[in-house]
Amino acid sequence: MSSFGFGLISAAVLAIATVGFTMQFAVTNVLNLAYGSIMINSAFVTYYVNEHGVNAWVALIGGVLTGAIASWVLNRFVYTPFQKRNLAPITVVIVSLGIDLMGTFGLQAIVGGGYVSFSQNQGREFHFAGLLLSSLQLIVIGICAVVLVGVHGLLKYTRLGKAMRATSANKNLARNSGVKTQFIISTTWLISGALCGLAGTVFAMNAGVFEATSAQLYIVLLLAAMFLGGPGEPYGAMFGALIIGLSTEISAAYINPDYKDVIAFIALIVMLMFRPFGIFGSEKTN
Amino acid sequence: MSVELSKKGLILSATGLAAGYDGRAIVSGINIEATPGKVVSIVGPNGSGKSTLLKSLVGVVKVLDGSVKVGEKTITNMPPEEVAKIGVGYVPQIDDVFPPLSVKENLEIGGYLLKRNEIHGRIDAVLEFFPKLKVMMSRKAGKLSGGERKMLAMGRVLMLSPSVLVLDEPTANLAPIVATQLLEEYIRGFADFGSTVLLVEQRAKAALRISDHTYVLGGGRVVLEGAPGDLQNNPIFVESFLGGGAALRAPKE
Repeated sequence: MSSFGFGLISAAVLAIATVGFTMQFAVTNVLNLAYGSIMINSAFVTYYVNEHGVNAWVALIGGVLTGAIASWVLNRFVYTPFQKRNLAPITVVIVSLGIDLMGTFGLQAIVGGGYVSFSQNQGREFHFAGLLLSSLQLIVIGICAVVLVGVHGLLKYTRLGKAMRATSANKNLARNSGVKTQFIISTTWLISGALCGLAGTVFAMNAGVFEATSAQLYIVLLLAAMFLGGPGEPYGAMFGALIIGLSTEISAAYINPDYKDVIAFIALIVMLMFRPFGIFGSEKTN
Repeated sequence: MSVELSKKGLILSATGLAAGYDGRAIVSGINIEATPGKVVSIVGPNGSGKSTLLKSLVGVVKVLDGSVKVGEKTITNMPPEEVAKIGVGYVPQIDDVFPPLSVKENLEIGGYLLKRNEIHGRIDAVLEFFPKLKVMMSRKAGKLSGGERKMLAMGRVLMLSPSVLVLDEPTANLAPIVATQLLEEYIRGFADFGSTVLLVEQRAKAALRISDHTYVLGGGRVVLEGAPGDLQNNPIFVESFLGGGAALRAPKE
C-alpha cells in the first residue's frame, strides 16, 4: 500500500511535467528533450531563493518563472531558427538533446556535484485509506489537481486554449482563420515552460535531496507517459502519468528500484505494440 | 440569402503571378480576376497547379513573381492571418476543419477575429444557413460525414463575413446530390448576394453550370478562358473536359 502512495505522488509530479511536455510538443511541433534539464535548473533557482530565507512555496514562483523564461528563450533563439531552415524534425530533436546535456552539466559545473535540499521538512503525516502521506505530498497532489483542472479549463473554455488546440490540429488552417499562430506558439512555450519549472521544483521537493543530474533520466518517464496517453493529447498525458507513476513505484516494491525506469519503457513498448498512437491518440496523431 | 453571411464583394486579381515551392514555380504568367456577384471558376487536369494558385492568392504558398490584389489593396505574400482579416475566406480542399475540435469550437475559431460578444450571433447566423449543423454542435469535426464536414468548413469562413470566398474543390469526395446542392444552392447563392467567389472545381460540367467566367489551367498556365457558353463550344475544351480526351498542355513559349 505504501508503494501505491509513492506511486500516487510520482504520478502527480509526472502528470504536471507531462502535461506541459505534451502541450509543448502538440502546439509547437518540437520534441524538446531539454525539458528535464530545464526542470532541474528551475528547481535549483527555487532552492537558491529558498536559501535566502524565502519560504520554499513562495520561492517556487522563481522556479516557475525560470522554466517559463528559459523555455521561451530556448524556442526563440534556438529552436525557431532551426525550424525556419526547414530541416528534418529529427535535427531539432538532436539539438534539444545537446541543449539538455549543456543545461544539466552546465548547471553541475556551476553548483557542483553535491546533493542539496530545501530548508523545509515533509510536514505532518496523515493516515487515510491505508495510505501514509506527508503534508508536502498532499500539497503536491493538490498542486497537480489544480494544474490539471487549470489546463483543462484553459484548453476547453478560453479563446487562447482553443487557438492552441486549433494550431496543434492544423496550423495553416488556424492562420487562414486569423489566428496569429506565432504568438500562440510563443505563449505555449511560456505556459508549458512554467509547468516544466513547477514540475522540476515539486520533483525536487518530493525527492527530498537532489543534485544537478537528478532529472537526467526523467525524460524517459516523460516520453513513456506521453506516448502511453497519445502524443500531443493533454488528457492522455494525465492518464499516461498515472499509469507510469503507479507502475514504476509499485514495481519498485518487488524488484530492484534501479530498474523502475525500465518498467516505464516496458509499459510503453507493450502499448506501442497494441495501440501505436496511444490510449487517447488517434491514428492521425501518430 | 435570408441572413447576411458574406459581405458585398471586392475584386480579387492576380497579375503576372508565378508561385511555387522552394523557389520553383508551379504556376506562372497567371492573370486572373474574380469580380463581385460572379462565380469565377478554375478548372484543369490534376497537377495543373490549381490548388497552388489558390494557395498563393491567400498567402499559404509563396508568390515568386507578379502581384495579388483585393480591391485596391495589394496582398502579395501577405501572411494568411492578415488575408483573412481583410475579408478573404479560404476553404482548402483537404484539412479544411480542425478534427479534434467540436463543430462549435470550429466555428468559434472561424470567428477568432470577432469581438467576444459578436461570436454567438454569428454562429446563429451560420447555423441558420446550415441548419444541419445545429444538431451536431458538440460533435468532433473529425467524426462528421464528407458533406457535413464541408458545410462546417464553409461555415467556418463565413464566421468573418468574407467579401471574397476562395474555395478549393469544395465538392471533392461528396455524393453527387450533395455536391450539386453545395454548388448550385450555396456557392451560387453567395455570388448572387454580391460576394466574390473564386472556385477551383474538378467537375468541369458542374463548374460551368454555376460559373460566370472560367479559367482553364494546364501545365501551370492559363490555357483557355471565357464564359461557360463559349468554352462549351470550344473543341479543345470539349475534348479535354467534356468528352474525356487528352489533358490540356500549356502552350509552348
